[in-house]
Amino acid sequence: MIKGFTRNYKPLEIATEGQLEAIHRGALTVLETTGIRVEHDRALKMFKDSGCLVDFVTKRVRIPAWLVEECLRRCPSNVKLRARDPNCDLMVGGDTFYFLQGMGMRYLDLDSWETRPATVKEHREAMIIGDALENMHMAGAYEFYTDRAGIPPCMVYLENLASGLRYCGKAEHFGYEDGCEKFAIKAAQELGINLLGEVGSAAPLTFYAGVVEATYAYAEAGFPVNPCICPTAGAESPVTMAGSIVLLIAQMMASVVMAQLIKPGVGVIIEHGIKPMDMQTGHPYFTDVSKSLTTAITNQLLRRYKIPSKSTSGFTSISKKIDFQCGYEKSMGALISALSGGHIQIFQGGSASELVYNTVLAIMDDDVAGWIGRFLEGVTVNDETLAVDVINEVGPIPGHFLNTAHTRKWWKAEHYATRVADREVYPVWVKSGKKDALDHARERMSEILATHKPVPLTPAQERIVERMLEEARDYYRKKGLISDQEWAVYMEALEADS
Amino acid sequence: MANQILDNLKKAVLECDAQGASSWAAKAVEEKVDLLKALDALTDAIREVGDGFGKGEIFLPELVGAAEAMQSATSIIEEELKKTGAKRESLGTIVAGTVFGDIHNIGKSMVCTLLVAAGFEVIDLGVNVETERFIQAVKDYKADVLAMSALLTMYTAEQKKVIDRLKEEGIRDKVKVIVGGGAINEEFARMVGADGYAPTAPEGVALTKKLLGK
Repeated sequence: MIKGFTRNYKPLEIATEGQLEAIHRGALTVLETTGIRVEHDRALKMFKDSGCLVDFVTKRVRIPAWLVEECLRRCPSNVKLRARDPNCDLMVGGDTFYFLQGMGMRYLDLDSWETRPATVKEHREAMIIGDALENMHMAGAYEFYTDRAGIPPCMVYLENLASGLRYCGKAEHFGYEDGCEKFAIKAAQELGINLLGEVGSAAPLTFYAGVVEATYAYAEAGFPVNPCICPTAGAESPVTMAGSIVLLIAQMMASVVMAQLIKPGVGVIIEHGIKPMDMQTGHPYFTDVSKSLTTAITNQLLRRYKIPSKSTSGFTSISKKIDFQCGYEKSMGALISALSGGHIQIFQGGSASELVYNTVLAIMDDDVAGWIGRFLEGVTVNDETLAVDVINEVGPIPGHFLNTAHTRKWWKAEHYATRVADREVYPVWVKSGKKDALDHARERMSEILATHKPVPLTPAQERIVERMLEEARDYYRKKGLISDQEWAVYMEALEADS
Repeated sequence: MANQILDNLKKAVLECDAQGASSWAAKAVEEKVDLLKALDALTDAIREVGDGFGKGEIFLPELVGAAEAMQSATSIIEEELKKTGAKRESLGTIVAGTVFGDIHNIGKSMVCTLLVAAGFEVIDLGVNVETERFIQAVKDYKADVLAMSALLTMYTAEQKKVIDRLKEEGIRDKVKVIVGGGAINEEFARMVGADGYAPTAPEGVALTKKLLGK
């Protein structure tokens, strides 16, 4: 089990109890009055049989407050994620905070700052680095480098997951697309692990068929379900922050009801984040101060419901470079998420508004994760750390603390040391080539790749992973989602790496 | 028995155990162990610590702890050696200190520790050292090198003052002068007439060796 970071003090609470109650009641009212559109006949019948008011023509489901509250209570407050390496299992909930590998579609070239599809090798290297980074507690293999050179789109998630399972022992999450989740779930069951099943819901108030299918697939397998609700304020949700939170919570409640009706007691982790919008271009701001505010209140509400939270505040930056903006947008967002009682923070490696993932950035972000984690742990106050006896023993100058057994015992535990930040004194910095954190991170990447060896899959596990890919390839070829030409390019890409 | 005492002396330094180091030093005297060998054992230990520090494997608290353990044993052994007239060979004598007005100790102590580890005899005058104390110590100990530290820019002028006084006393050519500290750079070292500057403690040791042709 990975311990993660423990927040040892009260979470940041920026909304009053009255404000939280008003949001809660607002969401219940929306679900009872307007309800949610559900594009799935089986689910419509399930909602109907469970006491909802269902209009099968408009596919509208109005959910009564009693059912919402009952389903909220059914959600476990702690959710276990079983990793390929049992030492990397996670228990999500309580005051524990975990960092999850970030996301981003394309590879970012650090010399030109241009993007391109990622290669098989680049995904593998990112997973090896992810396995090595001490503050990356959970892997997100499927969700980064979704633009892969030579890999047909229908196979990208599964190829990414296979790469993650092969080169990283940490717990994984997975999404859905063209039914690929069924292959992933089957393989995970055979491997004896689970996958956190990420299912989106479209705002406002809509569940498309794919999302519902995926929710059924994950919940029926007993895997935790991870509804992802990230509306753009002013377009997909009200422009006011409070209004957006009402809508987000209403969709969250509907997702919870659906999951709990499919499988009572199934684990649910809510992924959330309200993005403000650029009112000239229509682009969402993936990271912003108002997103931090809404994240803090959403975390507060989720703690009230005792449902674990997965935050997107600070999961990416809008900056296209690894620069000052990238640093502050990601750090501030993640810090607020951590302080306000979040549980999983999507973080290391993603930038440019979900466009890119970069392994060097992941290494730099890992320093930030360690910094935030250390802050969460707080200050230990006991007789030994108060050090009254030591202070008395050392006395005034020329006494000092550097030579005490107390310093030797405590210095590492008390003070977090970043791995790649430039912390040199000026003359040494000049003499050693004026290296910055980016240079150090590049060096660390080479060092990790040269030395770190993830625990390999056993031959039996490798067969399971390979079978998952073969069955999916066969299925998608028959379905016409991989043409002969695409197949040839696909095989060439895999062979080029072998 | 003698070998066991030497091993324990070394172990005490490696474990930053000042009390253990002084009691094993007393035991060495009592058991009439070859005290020059005892000093060698201590130097071996501190060299090991210094090497680890240079590689980034050992950190300041351990470096300083080991140095103090060594010092607690060395003072007992050297006291005894004085009685016999025996003297340990060293690479040279260094007088070191932080200049007047500046009370920063850590950087200077690191350099002193590593110099001892490298085989030099070090006279550490401490912090806030007045010019005349530097001059007197250089004369008294016939220093090969005078090492001055200053962390803050406002105290760097003190280093020049000491060098000027060495000239006035006619002993500037008898001692190499090195300077270091957060406020110092190569250009400053040249400007005040020092023989060398190093940005880090391990480089300070290398510079000292180079200046003395060791």
